[in-house]
Amino acid sequence: MLEPLRDLWQRLLTWDLLPTPGPEGARRDGPLERPWRYYWDHLPKRTAGADFSARDYQEARQRAEEVARSTLGDELWRDLTLDGYLDVASTRYPGLTYRLRVGHRIQVLSAPGARSPWPYAYLCINPTYPLPELEFFAHLFLYARDGEDMLVRVAAPQPWDQRLGRTF
Amino acid sequence: MGRIIVANRRGHQLVEWSADTETAEARESILEAERILREARDKGCAVSKKVGTQHVLDDAPFDPYAEEYQIIAPIAGGA
Repeated sequence: MLEPLRDLWQRLLTWDLLPTPGPEGARRDGPLERPWRYYWDHLPKRTAGADFSARDYQEARQRAEEVARSTLGDELWRDLTLDGYLDVASTRYPGLTYRLRVGHRIQVLSAPGARSPWPYAYLCINPTYPLPELEFFAHLFLYARDGEDMLVRVAAPQPWDQRLGRTF
Repeated sequence: MGRIIVANRRGHQLVEWSADTETAEARESILEAERILREARDKGCAVSKKVGTQHVLDDAPFDPYAEEYQIIAPIAGGA
């Protein structure tokens, strides 16, 4: 009785007819995890899944630093480590600057006379799947510099700063 | 040798291919790299390409002679 039901359930999962939770799907992927295939909203904030060990977190953060450094280049990486943030001037809204900090909301700075389209000074933007903070910082920098329209489309204005929920 | 940096919770993982070798294995590695980029884009990811010493967002078709691509996570607003 249970065996046919179990078989049917496995087939449904294989056909991807039902949304698959991230950690379970990632295990099915094999050596290369493809997180865009799965949903991750059920995970507690700033975590990567129950199957992640302390060592996994540590290794992920180390790898993220390598990539962030290589994505930003030496000069920007030096600025980030010295100042603790990177500023990206808006090309869409003259006088506006996006201040990016690792693991935090984007701060919108307005030059005198410049008008911000948002009612609050912070923009909350998360990756749709869990990533180390530094890895996502590099992504956010690319969106701010090269894909501002996308950033503007999804940004959720907030009155205060806070750590992001989908990074760790 | 080209490579894709696949950002995920592991920090990232690498997919490599060779455009300079005429073997079946090399050809398959190019096709696989192209498939991964296409799938990620179809699912809402952005892609960056290394140009000179830095990455820039890129929406051009896969170039097997590119040095490095990176799959950029889709973004969403909210805490």
